[in-house]
Amino acid sequence: MMSDDNSIIRVNNLSRHFTVADGKSGFIGSIQNLFSRRYTTKKAVDDISFSIAKGDFVGYVGENGAGKSTTIKMLTGILVPTSGKIVVAGNVPHINRAQNARNIGVVFGQRTQLWWDLPVLESFDLLRSIFRVPEDDFKRNFEELSETLELGPLLKVPVRKLSLGQRMRCDLTAALLHNPRILFLDEPTIGLDIIAKDYVRKFLKMVNKERETTIILTTHDMDDIEALCSRIIILDQGKIAYDGSTEKLKIDYVREKAIEIELHEDDTGTISIPNVKLVKSTANKKWLRFNQDDISVQEVVSQIMRERRVKDIAIHEPKVGDIIKNIYANGKAASQQTKLQKTLP
Amino acid sequence: MFKNTPIYWKLVVTSIRAKMEYKVTFLFLLIALLFYYLGQLGVILIILVKFKNINGWSLGEMAFLYGLLVFSQGISTLLFSSLNYFENLIIEGDFDRLLVRPLNPLLQVLASSFELSSVAHFLIGSTALYYGATRSGLEWTFQKIVFFPIALAGAVLIQGGIRLAVAAVTFWTTRNRSLVHTIVYSSKEFILYPISIYNFWVQAFLTLIFPLAFINFYPSHFFLARDSSTLLFHPALQYGTPLAGLIVFAMAYALWKAGINHYQSVGN
Ligand SMILES: Nc1ncnc2c1ncn2[C@@H]1O[C@H](COP(=O)(O)OP(=O)(O)OP(=O)(O)O)[C@@H](O)[C@H]1O
Ligand SMILES: [Mg+2]
Repeated sequence: MMSDDNSIIRVNNLSRHFTVADGKSGFIGSIQNLFSRRYTTKKAVDDISFSIAKGDFVGYVGENGAGKSTTIKMLTGILVPTSGKIVVAGNVPHINRAQNARNIGVVFGQRTQLWWDLPVLESFDLLRSIFRVPEDDFKRNFEELSETLELGPLLKVPVRKLSLGQRMRCDLTAALLHNPRILFLDEPTIGLDIIAKDYVRKFLKMVNKERETTIILTTHDMDDIEALCSRIIILDQGKIAYDGSTEKLKIDYVREKAIEIELHEDDTGTISIPNVKLVKSTANKKWLRFNQDDISVQEVVSQIMRERRVKDIAIHEPKVGDIIKNIYANGKAASQQTKLQKTLP
Repeated sequence: MFKNTPIYWKLVVTSIRAKMEYKVTFLFLLIALLFYYLGQLGVILIILVKFKNINGWSLGEMAFLYGLLVFSQGISTLLFSSLNYFENLIIEGDFDRLLVRPLNPLLQVLASSFELSSVAHFLIGSTALYYGATRSGLEWTFQKIVFFPIALAGAVLIQGGIRLAVAAVTFWTTRNRSLVHTIVYSSKEFILYPISIYNFWVQAFLTLIFPLAFINFYPSHFFLARDSSTLLFHPALQYGTPLAGLIVFAMAYALWKAGINHYQSVGN
């Protein structure tokens, strides 16, 4: 856990519980619920700590209901934590809401921050007033954003008439008009087609690089993570299951490696190296698999190069998505294990 | 607060323009409201024609009492009516959006709808006030001229505070439509008539717990120079409206602030 001065977000032992009253709905029902004791507590975020450095691009991932949105809502001042501490660019979000709002940009993929019935440009103008962005800064910023995101033809259109991809471009602009230091994105690529996703990714990458904006992104699309994030925090049932660089994740979690070899036409023999499994084999193509605890990549490759006439060789990097799925699965297994143990005498 | 006035107006103008797309609805609402209030006034007139006065209040005095209620209601509707629909912001979690902007969330809610149909209140209210003042021979002394806008502001704060408190409850209950109907809309029926027609407990309730009587009953004593020694607790209550307004609004705002900290947003 980093706690150097370079950090722009610090979270300590943060929890958020929801009490869900079972049963009665409607106004009268909800009053009755206030006085009845029949409710269950859901630990949406359960004692998490992390800190994020300036300029980081962090992927915040986890299965449905893991607590991602709840965390984002606490970091943006929407929800008050049940316990724990948050400091975002020097402010406690739920106490200094307005000050915090100036430092952050927020995009929720599921709903727009813009005025539904207004033309896009008017929404931007209202936001300019609300955020008190000086006219000159606004102009410069807006022109740059609208050029990169090609907003020209959209500006006069009411928000409700935009396609999802167009709306996302406008929402991203809206979130950046006051040039925030931190950008929170909750599933910004949800529902977008491949081209629009690619567009958004390129844009975010640029924002992170050129504006040095710190970005925290939640997503279910592992390609987003692979393409963008230098660091991943994996949340599992409200707890942090992994926190580290994307590279380290690969090193830590994937000991399995796959190698694909193409041999010369006249070299048709099989390959047999101890501890290396031949997964598939054609006349001159071989697929190998091994665990790095048993034998290193280097050893395998050099042995093959020495003994055979190799035309082409490819070492497959593990997919981040597969690794994360593995971690979810392990987490499940672990928690089931503990449940089992609890039920045993 | 005042430095936000330009932004408030900008948002208000925006919401008026959005509403103007529904001109027909606006006209119907206006006409319906006019008929509603004329009907209300009609009932009072019929009673007066029959009994000459209501609990010692003449026709002119009753008109003034009614005018004070409806006129202040017009202002409070103009400023606070968006709070009546506050549950819509909560149910869908749209309140989230207001919390990530550097502008008081209440101000953003208030600016989100501007009820132009309160023109009906102003028409009926000012007519009743004018007629009542003239008919009962109200003498506009300097004190009364100064106190009038202050008392009006107090009356507006009482009504706005009640609307705000009812909206704040939504943070706990997620819904408040029925509360809006019983407390905000129907409770006014109590003060169409001088509260002295009720028994002690009702009068005490309307003075101390749910102080609607300060909207029109008590200040009318001052403006109409009625005998205030008959007042339930103390003659000074006739000047109490501004203070009552501040207290009600401050309490409602405290509840609202607590509500925001209790806001749950919505899970997906
Ligand atoms: N307002 C709320 N009231 C009650 N429970 C809630 C509320 N918001 C979230 N929860 C619960 O808290 C847990 C975490 O929800 P959260 O929305 O943070 O998950 P998430 O990781 O964002 O999931 P998803 O990937 O589906 O968006 C869920 O079990 C959810 O049902
Ligand atoms: Mg979510």
